Amino acid sequence: MLQFKLVLLGDSSVGKSSIVHRFVKDSFDEFRESTIGAAFLSQTVKLEKHQDVTIKFEIWDTAGQERYKSLAPMYYRNANAALIVYDVTQPGSLVKAQSWVEELKHKVGDQDLVICLVGNKLDLCEADSSVRQVEIDDAQTYAQEQHLLFHEVSAKTGAGIAKIFQEMGEKVYERKTAESAASAATQPRKTLNVELQRPSTNDSTSCCA
Amino acid sequence: MISIIDQPSTRTNMSEPQKAREPVPKSSPVPDDFSESGNELKEGLPCQNEEEGAIYDFQAFVAQLRDPRADPILRYTRSFLNNFVTKRELWTCEEQRKLVDDFKVFVYGKLPLYEPFQSLNAGKFKNAQEGIEKLIMGKLYGYCFSPSLELRFQDKLDASHQEDLDQDERLRRKRAEFCFIDPGHLEIPESLSRRLLKFTQLSGKELARITEYKAPRDKMVCVLNACRVLFGFLKHSGLENGGADAFVPVLVYTLLKSDVESLLSNLNYIERFRYTEFLRGESAYYLSSVQGAANFIAHLKQESLHISDVSTFEERYTANQEILKQEESHAESSTSVTAVPSATPPRPAPSHYIRRPLDEATSALLVKVSELFSSNPTEPRDKEGGPEVSAETDLDPDSTRLVQQLQEQENQRVLEELHDMFPEMDQGLIHDVCEAKKYRIGMCVDVLLTLSS
Repeated sequence: MLQFKLVLLGDSSVGKSSIVHRFVKDSFDEFRESTIGAAFLSQTVKLEKHQDVTIKFEIWDTAGQERYKSLAPMYYRNANAALIVYDVTQPGSLVKAQSWVEELKHKVGDQDLVICLVGNKLDLCEADSSVRQVEIDDAQTYAQEQHLLFHEVSAKTGAGIAKIFQEMGEKVYERKTAESAASAATQPRKTLNVELQRPSTNDSTSCCA
Repeated sequence: MISIIDQPSTRTNMSEPQKAREPVPKSSPVPDDFSESGNELKEGLPCQNEEEGAIYDFQAFVAQLRDPRADPILRYTRSFLNNFVTKRELWTCEEQRKLVDDFKVFVYGKLPLYEPFQSLNAGKFKNAQEGIEKLIMGKLYGYCFSPSLELRFQDKLDASHQEDLDQDERLRRKRAEFCFIDPGHLEIPESLSRRLLKFTQLSGKELARITEYKAPRDKMVCVLNACRVLFGFLKHSGLENGGADAFVPVLVYTLLKSDVESLLSNLNYIERFRYTEFLRGESAYYLSSVQGAANFIAHLKQESLHISDVSTFEERYTANQEILKQEESHAESSTSVTAVPSATPPRPAPSHYIRRPLDEATSALLVKVSELFSSNPTEPRDKEGGPEVSAETDLDPDSTRLVQQLQEQENQRVLEELHDMFPEMDQGLIHDVCEAKKYRIGMCVDVLLTLSS
């Protein structure tokens, strides 16, 4: 099974962990295979667009507190996907999300990473539309400009959650298959040119006195 | 004929610390194993873990390698080790990583061609792969682990290995500078404070055992156990959904309050020499977390802390600085007395990195492995061999007993740790939990917390 690393970024109060817990709890498919830890979870996704393809997301949570921001590179290196979460009732959290987008684009590069911007706590707006502080159009426009996937969700009700992972799953899978096709055409290059002579079965005594 | 691999000191310019760098096939730490880790937390849901059922057994691997049909594998390995230590005196970290990785890819490809490996099932095959990694890294430890290299090369060490040592030093200094801080400074919730110290101490102890092992996997298990203890604690403090927001501060606090020697060198070593395919999932997550937390401390400044009362903080900071100064001057005067009788500046003894002495049991098992790499097993291997030589006869039943003995010691240790952690609890009950959970400390903590609450 193909495995992909997904890193979870966002301010500490936006409910990013809840999104993942909701996703894992709601996935009652036969492929269910999740490890519920406090910060690392894995979950399989059966892709709707690609019949018979099931992929596995390894989901890496990060600490959202500003002071622990410097740890993030340890988490997002080699990631295939990033889920950047903000809270639709907290305009500051979108600014923070945007700074994550900048950082990822700068440090990881667009080609290697599928990024999804997610506005959480939609349920609060449904109860009382005056609490919304981030207009969907603003966030969506930003996401389009930056070529990000975009969704508004509610971890509380589960609305929109499955869709995020479905879409990201398709995207990373398509990239992966395109990539393997491309690398099959060209020889992979070795980054470091250091080699010992090939281990052999008959030089065991070559250095003996 | 004398094996080159066993005694590089006689053939190359490897010097004194060699002895300590021999592989110590001590029983692996009893892990909350990578593979079965998630089961307990899955609440009875079916799981399909690719590593399921694979129980790590180095002894079984050694027995397989002694099979005459496995001779080509043995020769490949010997040839690689020989080349590694003779072709160049000192490789950079990146070169070492690549050479070791290339060899693993190569030899893992060869394993299925020869019996007895050919007919192993997937789990046992994986065990053989693990065995090879443990074997070669045991042999190459002194060439690859930066603090060991420092003993040999000192100021002639290459920049990449030196960087490990510098990182360790930076962490050590910062930890000393900020060791006095409170949970609140790291934004750890008040609600945790009652039992925080106890659990971080246990976690720190588990982590500190990282220096006792040479195999990347064994070191990794120490990291994993340390993190599991913290997770168990968070889970039972009502923060099971807190994710990294809850975990990271507690982890940072643990590292600040515990004294793990050469932590960053150890973590870098795992990262470089653990086979990429084995360093996945949870293991990779925990490794990155501890690396991240350690680097956070190594670059800690007052501004990165949550300080509500600046003047009190500064008082404590200054008081701590005073203590540090006193300790430093005290340390200087005492090292000058106990300094090693050599021209070099005082360095930690090799045994520093492998805390437990090589006891007789360990040594005997060690000989068994070394024997595989000597072309003539009856050759006396070392004049200072002591127990190694005496234990050389008929090792098979012996080594089984020894492995059991080591295992029992390890179990006893876990039991004692848990007695300390849960003094109010019935000792028999703790014992039963340990038996049920196979002495995996993280899981035991989890169960005992449930029972005690």
